[in-house]
Amino acid sequence: MGADREGGVRRRRGRAAAYTALGVVLLAGCASMPDSGDLRNVESTPRQDTGVRVFAMPPADDANPGEIMQGFLEALTSDDPEYDTARKYLANDAARTWRPERSTTVLANGPSIETDCRAGSRETTNSVTCVLTGTRVATVDAQQAYQPAAGTYRRKVHLTRDGKTGQWRIDELPDGVVMGKSDFQRNYTSVDKYYFASGTSVGPAGEPVAVADPVFVRSKVDPMTQMVRSLLDGPSDWLGPVVRSSFPTGTALQKGVSGLAPDDQNRLTVPLNLGASRVAPSKCTEMATQLLFTLRNLAPTLESVELQGTGGRRLCDLTEERAVSAAWHGSAKRPEYLYYVDGRHRLVRMPTGSTGTGSVQVPGALGEGDKTLRSVAVSRDERSVAAVDNYGASLHVTSLTSDGSLGDALVTSRGATPDERLTTPSWDARGDLWVADRDRQDAALYVVEHGTTKAEKVTVPDLPGRIKDVRVAADGVRVALVVEKDGKQSLLIGRIEREDGTGAAPSVVGLRSAAPDLEEVGTMTWAGDSRLLVVGQEQGGVQQMRYVQVDGATLDGPAPGALPGVKAIAASEDDRVPLVAYSDDGIVRLPTGAQWQKVDKDGTAPVYPG
Amino acid sequence: MSEDSAVSGSGLPGERPKRPVGRTASGTRVGRFFEGGLLRGGVQGSPVLRLFLRWVRRPLLPVMRLWRRNIQLRVVATTLLMSLGVVLLLGFVVIGQVRNGLLDAKVHASQSQATGGFAVAKQRADEAAGTNGTGTGTAPATADGSTDGTAGADGRPTQNVIQWMSDLVESLSSGGAGAFDVVTLPVGDDSGGGRSPRGSGNVNPTSSIPADLRDRVNSGMTAAQSYTRIVYSNGKESQPALVIGKQVNDPNGRPYELYYLFPLTQEEKSLSLVKGTLATAGLFVVVLLGAIAWLVVRQVVTPVRMAAGIAERLSAGRLQERMKVTGEDDIARLGEAFNKMAQNLQGKIQQLEDLSRMQRRFVSDVSHELRTPLTTVRMAADVIHEAREDFDPVTARSAELLADQLDRFESLLADLLEISRFDAGAAALEAEPIDLREVVRRVVGGAEPLAERKGTRIRVVGDLQPVVAEADARRVERVLRNLVVNAVEHGEGKDVIVKLAAAGGAVAVAVRDYGVGLKPGEATRVFSRFWRADPARARTTGGTGLGLSIALEDARLHGGWLQAWGEPGGGSQFRLTLPRTADEPLRGSPIPLEPKDARRRRRPDDSGTPRQEKRATVPAQQSGGHVPALPSRAPIAPRRSAATPATDPTALPGNGNGARVVPRPTGSVQRSEERSAEDRAPDAMAVRPESGQGPARPEDSTEPGEAFRGR
Repeated sequence: MGADREGGVRRRRGRAAAYTALGVVLLAGCASMPDSGDLRNVESTPRQDTGVRVFAMPPADDANPGEIMQGFLEALTSDDPEYDTARKYLANDAARTWRPERSTTVLANGPSIETDCRAGSRETTNSVTCVLTGTRVATVDAQQAYQPAAGTYRRKVHLTRDGKTGQWRIDELPDGVVMGKSDFQRNYTSVDKYYFASGTSVGPAGEPVAVADPVFVRSKVDPMTQMVRSLLDGPSDWLGPVVRSSFPTGTALQKGVSGLAPDDQNRLTVPLNLGASRVAPSKCTEMATQLLFTLRNLAPTLESVELQGTGGRRLCDLTEERAVSAAWHGSAKRPEYLYYVDGRHRLVRMPTGSTGTGSVQVPGALGEGDKTLRSVAVSRDERSVAAVDNYGASLHVTSLTSDGSLGDALVTSRGATPDERLTTPSWDARGDLWVADRDRQDAALYVVEHGTTKAEKVTVPDLPGRIKDVRVAADGVRVALVVEKDGKQSLLIGRIEREDGTGAAPSVVGLRSAAPDLEEVGTMTWAGDSRLLVVGQEQGGVQQMRYVQVDGATLDGPAPGALPGVKAIAASEDDRVPLVAYSDDGIVRLPTGAQWQKVDKDGTAPVYPG
Repeated sequence: MSEDSAVSGSGLPGERPKRPVGRTASGTRVGRFFEGGLLRGGVQGSPVLRLFLRWVRRPLLPVMRLWRRNIQLRVVATTLLMSLGVVLLLGFVVIGQVRNGLLDAKVHASQSQATGGFAVAKQRADEAAGTNGTGTGTAPATADGSTDGTAGADGRPTQNVIQWMSDLVESLSSGGAGAFDVVTLPVGDDSGGGRSPRGSGNVNPTSSIPADLRDRVNSGMTAAQSYTRIVYSNGKESQPALVIGKQVNDPNGRPYELYYLFPLTQEEKSLSLVKGTLATAGLFVVVLLGAIAWLVVRQVVTPVRMAAGIAERLSAGRLQERMKVTGEDDIARLGEAFNKMAQNLQGKIQQLEDLSRMQRRFVSDVSHELRTPLTTVRMAADVIHEAREDFDPVTARSAELLADQLDRFESLLADLLEISRFDAGAAALEAEPIDLREVVRRVVGGAEPLAERKGTRIRVVGDLQPVVAEADARRVERVLRNLVVNAVEHGEGKDVIVKLAAAGGAVAVAVRDYGVGLKPGEATRVFSRFWRADPARARTTGGTGLGLSIALEDARLHGGWLQAWGEPGGGSQFRLTLPRTADEPLRGSPIPLEPKDARRRRRPDDSGTPRQEKRATVPAQQSGGHVPALPSRAPIAPRRSAATPATDPTALPGNGNGARVVPRPTGSVQRSEERSAEDRAPDAMAVRPESGQGPARPEDSTEPGEAFRGR
């Protein structure tokens, strides 16, 4: 009995001690910084926008013509959605007729007002003509497509003194707005809108291929709504012939819609003026795909898009996961392997996510290393590989299976030196293989449809020189060419037009310069839906690596770190994949957020699929 | 006390009323508190307001009551309040210190940042001006152009300011994304190139910069700082900020205002952290202190409450109650001392009671024992007195004296016996409904001979209707006889008026004389045993000095009042008030104690305004006259407690009751003058010649000495 009670007491005391110890431990846990704990998602906070905003001011009373002009030009750089403040500088008629959205002219240093704006002796006439001058850099047309431009800008602006109020106002001026380059870069942002390559589908399901059409929108004036409107308006003139939009003609946002923004669940509802009966479900999905791809440029966190017809009825919706399978989209396809030719002339590959240097030779003939290769190209589905032999004379295609053998040459070149023979081949998503012959006598651009048939010669009208390099875009409707003329190279972007059904070879038309300031272009590769990575040098500059936009605009983003002696570069449309280059140090790679790393000292010809 | 003298001679205990009176007094104090604090101002206001205040007050009353009675609540509440005050004070001081410290650091860092920024802006303007100058080849012209730039004439110098300004703001603000924002504003209403407000980070420039800072910046070239709230144009919540501004020149030499805005978000977060911590800690401290106070006070209050309970029971007469004593602390000492005190008290009271009982016994025994020899002496004296004519004059005179003093001795003895019967609680009331008019008639008839002798007329007023009450006729008659005889004796030959009235559950008989009256203070003393108006007066004359005492005891036995009023030279009035039924408590008397014809009333104006009546009778509630009788009363306390409710001072006689009494002269009562004018006014007594014995012996001889009354 006594022992029993003693035991009970001891047990109770022990429990009390345990509770005390627990409390002490808990308190101690509160009193120091935690070194372990539960897992939690980190909410992404939007980066704070440090952009400068100009707040336009209406004209001051009794301002002279010069001040009116200055104020007007400054108001053009503001974030005024409809340029209401700028219109206050205009006379009534001019304010009614002036169309600021017609164009945007970008001048190198902003517009200057020539000195004859001073009224001088004509002060009493109540009429003054000012002249705006400047060095043109680019223009953005009514479809918001960017186009590099050159030459001087000179426009007359006429001011009169209003009879009643006695105030100077602008009564004659050109349509559109004009501003300096840095103001343009601050106020506008380049966004890709997406259409589908006409007549092209890939994969077993016949997915359409998304084509990026870069446009510039005012970044601080409801960009999402602007982008939707721009998308609905259709592709730019240049791209128009080769793409289609799944939106029926005349589709527009419902009246009065503005300020589109994703909700808390990152969903965006787009009200369209479409009746539910006019839209087939598959078409609707395509529309949503276009919208989602487009708007994800502006809001990377956007997860789904819902289309709303007239009367608020839901047409369809699309989540990001489904969009990937709904259309073939270059930047959404992550390549599996990086391929290169190692020191023993074997074609080897390593996983793109790998951080080591271990590589495995590919199955098939090219993995054996019994043939030296000058350049290779792996098809987008990573089943076929095209190789140019060491002399650049012949192009072979083989499959990446163990029994694949090197077939006959599909294209041969008779150029004098290896540098005047075949270029590095390039695949598009359809499976067509593009290669150029640099023979001085018989330069030509060839396409091998599906990599198997006979090579066809591609006509390139208005070609200003000899093609030195060719890279076809993943969508198969745009091709980047390096064209040499008089020892100077330029980067041109062409549109591939196919006469479907006639059996005629496609042609590359609409060549335009993507990097007008580059004088020498060494090598280049696609590095995004509408972006190229180029190694070249400006006039009087040194060799540098930089990104260019296909429409010729320069990008704000940082260029990759400098690397000496770059002979070839490989990049993928998916920007999560590290950049790979063949330089003096062999094959090097640039993972995101790191420095260049050596991969293989003796390797050559690094390529990603494409 | 006013010049006249009035007293309540009722059988109201002197000691018992104290507690109820004290309680009601404290009760009215609450009322006064509220009326003073809440209602005094509103009383003059509308009744609605008064109603509202009453409505507000009602739920507060229990709280106030609790507050008054509970010392623990008071201490805990005071502790809470004081600790709250200290915590608040401390909190304010600490928060102020932290705020100043945070702000100082921020201001220093911000100032150096902004100063650097201003320098950069100036440098870039100089650079731009320089390149412009070299570009156009007219470097001096630039400076010139800047002076008359308002003309907008110099195309080249002014050309790039729009873009230059935006670039400047961008480059200045790019260094501090989130840490600060940069804003430019035009000087005054300057317009033209580069003069539009610019702001980085979505800051709304015009509404974020205070106007007085702009004035200061415009008035000089020095930097100035201020505090403001940043307003954002993208709907972000505005936040406090430090803003530093300076006037800077652009490449054209035209000034503009450049502001650096440093949001104080981080500082505010730190401050709110400190605030939260302090608030939590303060709350805990206050609660802790309250709990401690509660515990500590409980330790003290619990024994005190116990002691209070014991003391209450002790004071209620349960003298055997004792406190429980545990431990040796102060409370235990208090308990021990208390117990000792209670024990001593019990002992003393027991002792006193025994003593008092013994004394009464002694008096009673002595009276009894004296009666037997006295009877013998009486018979012998009667024989001697009969035969006095045979004696020589001296001896005859002695025989007369002997008989005289024997009468007196007998009546004194009878009174003593009666008093001792009262003291012993042996007096029993034999109440039955009687008509007081009968009693009064008998008494007046009995006093008629004496009145005739004195030349006094006795008038009876108010005997038209029956005045019936449950009373002991014998005792009432004794009381009234005493009063009437006294009035006749001291009436100096003037009229004596006996007034009867009945109203509101009470009947009253007042006896008014117009003799020498009572001096101030005497009204309280007339009821004392063996009290005489003139101390010099010999015991050998007059009554026994116990008559009024016995009358008072009789009135008390009925649960009634016997009260006296008098004024020097204005006569006096004695009033007997009895309840109509035996056990009913008295609430008032139908007859005012101070008569309407009191001199004091008549003097100011002849109309005799009733106003004065009230003032004159108020002192009547004094009860000090009974104090000497107290110790002997203790044993009969239970019986008296029945009469306690009648002691409500508001019900004291005279208040407003006078209106009911119609002073109607009734048919004059026949006066009889049997007695000599030996008992006149007190001052006359001294010179009064000794007269013979009172031949007017009352008919009721079973109560000897009843007719002998003294003053």
